[in-house]
Amino acid sequence: MPRIPHAPRLRTVLVVTAAALAARRALRGRIKGSPLWPMPALDHPISGQGREAQAGARAHRLTVVERVAEAAGVIRLRLEGADLPDWEPGAHLDLVLPSGTVRQYSLCGSPATPGSYTIAVRLIEDGRGGSQEAHELLHEGTEVTVRGPRNRFPLRDSHAYVFIAGGIGITPILPMVRQAEREGIPWRLLYGGRSRASMPFLAEIEKLAGAGADRVTVVAEDEEGRPDLAALLAGAPPHAAVYCCGPEPLMDAVAALLPDAPEGLTLHTERFAPATPSPTAENAPFEVELRRTGRTITVPAGTSALRAIRDQALPDLPYSCEQGFCGTCQQRVLAGEVEHRDGLLTDAERDDSLLICVSRAREGGRLVLDL
Amino acid sequence: MSNTASLRPQPVASEHTPLKPRNVAFDWADTPLHWIPGDPATTHTINVLHLILPAGERWFVHVYKQALPHIRDPRLREDVIGFIGQEAMHSQAHDDVLPHLKEQGLDPAPYTAQVDWLFEKLLGDRTLPPGRARKWWLLERVAIIAAVEHYTAFLGDWVLNAEELDARGADPTMLDLLRWHGAEEVEHRSVAFDLFVHLDGGYRRRVRTWATAFAALVFLWQRGVRFFMENDPTLLDGKASFKEFVRAGRQGVLPTAGDMARSIPQYLSRAYHPSQHGSTTQAIAYLAGSPAATAAEARTKGGS
Repeated sequence: MPRIPHAPRLRTVLVVTAAALAARRALRGRIKGSPLWPMPALDHPISGQGREAQAGARAHRLTVVERVAEAAGVIRLRLEGADLPDWEPGAHLDLVLPSGTVRQYSLCGSPATPGSYTIAVRLIEDGRGGSQEAHELLHEGTEVTVRGPRNRFPLRDSHAYVFIAGGIGITPILPMVRQAEREGIPWRLLYGGRSRASMPFLAEIEKLAGAGADRVTVVAEDEEGRPDLAALLAGAPPHAAVYCCGPEPLMDAVAALLPDAPEGLTLHTERFAPATPSPTAENAPFEVELRRTGRTITVPAGTSALRAIRDQALPDLPYSCEQGFCGTCQQRVLAGEVEHRDGLLTDAERDDSLLICVSRAREGGRLVLDL
Repeated sequence: MSNTASLRPQPVASEHTPLKPRNVAFDWADTPLHWIPGDPATTHTINVLHLILPAGERWFVHVYKQALPHIRDPRLREDVIGFIGQEAMHSQAHDDVLPHLKEQGLDPAPYTAQVDWLFEKLLGDRTLPPGRARKWWLLERVAIIAAVEHYTAFLGDWVLNAEELDARGADPTMLDLLRWHGAEEVEHRSVAFDLFVHLDGGYRRRVRTWATAFAALVFLWQRGVRFFMENDPTLLDGKASFKEFVRAGRQGVLPTAGDMARSIPQYLSRAYHPSQHGSTTQAIAYLAGSPAATAAEARTKGGS
């Protein structure tokens, strides 16, 4: 009697064990290739894309290995570190000063020098304190954190270049001139400054100009007054690319002259905009159109767009930090030029969105939001 | 709702604190792959946080933005607004660890892309008609978040008290991330539960969503440890094991299995309120001395 049930039991155990082993093997194989099997992966993953890397803002710790007085009130710093990303002319770094203040400086060395970055810093006595700190605290051996490089001022291909630099604005222009020279593309440079003594990189620029060439015009204001921008632009080859960096009035003047200049000139400028301006920065009133709500409201001076929209139209609008870092209040921009004042969004995100808790319309502008 | 109010558990009033997000930043350059020296299994068990939280806490923010218009209590509303910003910063801070893992040869992308799918698609908004279906799905997700927050508060309280991690020489930057995060979880531990009670609070929903959340966490964690151990380039035959987990709990470098088991009936008790567990005072004390939180404070005060 007892022998009959035993045989099928053994067989059942064997079959079940074999099936379990096979299933475990199959499962292991699947989990190896797909850690959360049976879940699929998101087509365009979001996590771990490196927001900082996307923003070109991976942090590197560098050491100041050289500090040279480049001109009156200007120091040139060479920073060394390991595994530094490549860069192209026009790129800048975010330099995190010992106090935590972040300032942007154009790279003015040679992109072909791996392992080091060169920047130049002009001391601005009545500035916001960043340049003073750099002059006082950055010495050979000092460690600093930098993010970047990023390039918002890239040198596009062109058959001819016109470069215009004012003072410390020479820093992004200098690597551009070198590259144009190396590639044999015709270029001209107008370099203006207060006095020759205060203008960095003069010697190198005059050397680049070569013997007898009229490619470089150096205009020191204390000797020759303001540079003749109109003459420079009038003599530019048609369809040349104009790259301009310097004080705001200089760039405005160039932009104003452009319509009268030869056909097809394209203007590229770089403003030294602060990454996160102080709360006392200009807070002019502006209008916001809420497209989906169908209303337009005025954001008063000194009030954030977030507050104004919440008070006047949409009380349930989400927000949190109100300082431009948590990202909760991000909204889509349908039209209008934004002055971004947050410390979070990547360049791509800035193209069509803003953080309404801190950012505003560009001077005299108006924004249309998808709200 | 009002007829059940008297039956509701009462919060411990002294545990409430105003919430604000902190603009922290961490530099991972000096953090080794095995940031608890000589203990890859425990390191990776805790590292699973970096896999789940970027997508998970981003999802919390997404859901809570939708819940905001339904809140009728101004104080709860303030709490939820503070909660949203804190969660957004947690998500960002853990996300910034992922490229560092990749640089060290442990690419988290296969796992995180699937976690992204879980939170963006499976638990995402779905195409629902406005009205009851949409409201039901919102309440369900709010309840899931309340259940998960029970565990984040549990872990936060644990890590604030895990002195053994210091004794083992764990990386100070990673410890500060975990404890800054843990302290904020303790600070805001009542918000998710209060919101759930405010919007619905049904006991059946609480139990159902707890079961979902608990099962999901066990699944994600088990697969996460396994993923890290098998793909760690420095381990020849890396395997995740339950034995290691029990061992680490005994040594004090992970929560003990017993404490975890005891946290289950806590949440399922009808008298439960998150303010009964953990200490806001301890959390605030840690934040007052945390390198990341104090640097964030200085940054905020400095203006730029």
